[in-house]
Amino acid sequence: MKNVKISSLQMMMLMYPTIIATAILSVPSIIAKYAKNDLWLPPIFASLIGFLTMFIVYKLHQLYPDKTIIEMVENILGKIPGKIVGFIILAYFLQSTGEISRAYGQFITTSFMFNTPSIVIISLMVLLSAVAVYGGLEVLGRLGQLFFPVFLIPLIILFFLLIPSYEPKNVLPILGNGLLPSIKGSIIPTAWFGEIFLILFLLPYIKDKQNVFKFGMLTVFSAMLTLVLVCLMVLFVLGDTTATKIYPLLTAGRYFSYADFFENLDSVIMAIWIVGAFIKISMFYFAVVAGFSQLLNLTDYKILIWPIGILIVEFSFWAIPSSMVFNRYENTALPFYAGFVQTILPLLILGMAFIRKKVKKSLISNPSQ
Amino acid sequence: MKWGTFFITGMLIFLILLLQWPKMKNSPIKDKLAFISLLLIGWVLSMFDLMHISGPVSWLDTLTKPLTRLLEV
Repeated sequence: MKNVKISSLQMMMLMYPTIIATAILSVPSIIAKYAKNDLWLPPIFASLIGFLTMFIVYKLHQLYPDKTIIEMVENILGKIPGKIVGFIILAYFLQSTGEISRAYGQFITTSFMFNTPSIVIISLMVLLSAVAVYGGLEVLGRLGQLFFPVFLIPLIILFFLLIPSYEPKNVLPILGNGLLPSIKGSIIPTAWFGEIFLILFLLPYIKDKQNVFKFGMLTVFSAMLTLVLVCLMVLFVLGDTTATKIYPLLTAGRYFSYADFFENLDSVIMAIWIVGAFIKISMFYFAVVAGFSQLLNLTDYKILIWPIGILIVEFSFWAIPSSMVFNRYENTALPFYAGFVQTILPLLILGMAFIRKKVKKSLISNPSQ
Repeated sequence: MKWGTFFITGMLIFLILLLQWPKMKNSPIKDKLAFISLLLIGWVLSMFDLMHISGPVSWLDTLTKPLTRLLEV
């Protein structure tokens, strides 16, 4: 495993869809509930958490360059506490993988394939991701490279194609209700930006380590830019009704019609989403499998792929009887849970690591103590 | 109890065992134990009516309840 290498550009091409894929569809309407027509502002505030997380990730990486987060915490906190913290992190990612699969299944069953049971859709996607993860990190990196244009170009084309339906005055009045609603609205998307934390699982396998910081920051920045553009796109087309739609971008896509021939762009959005969800689920899946194999000190991570696949499918249904419960969870509990595991916990670990280094140094300089 | 999902998961686990076990002949005992116990956890979970029992999602809802007041519109 240690001799597998990807480049930091590939890392960016993996992380960008990982952050943005599920965000572009559901986040605009969630933010719109709080920020109304200022919904393009919260992604900018939320990205601050992304930048902060990337900074923490990079500092941790500088202290322990050849270790993933699971090995790091064992080094920093000691054996037993390290295993417990590692387990907390992995439990979060295991459950998140289930949730992302559920969100994917829900989107497909509510918008396109109404009669297919969602377990079929979820299991097939998890099976596909399992095969990708079985190929290893190099395969994932190349998949990212292959799908990055497939993901990005249709989005850009969509932005230009929808121009005739835009009503830019929807954005006015800017900050009509003050800054507070926008700040409240920015709490939820922080969960998505914090996902840059996943880089910690990839760092030991990156070839050009000097570029990691640059590309990591660029990933967060481009994710922020995309989300702001998507929010503006949705706002210009749908206006005040954005908050009432579950998938506003999909609804906006349906507005486009040219010469009664180019219509139903929602299938393009569906294609983008499926590609993005595939990359996202594969990345989370890889992190969970690799993390568990490091937590348990196994020789090969591949043996865990199939058992964890079953767990992921089960986690996508566990205690989620309906889409209402799921959406409520995503809009209330998830931002705090994600913020804790992805940003606050690494910050604490970093603090501990610094203290450890300091104590070690003073012990070496004053051996009498 | 949901017998349908239980048996289907059982069949899947059997298939996984059938395909993966021969490749693991030379792996250390620890790897085999982790593999088997994770499969067993998956199988035990499939016995329950997972959608309607309490789980991580409902536990986290309760845990974060004081904080979610911040998010009320």
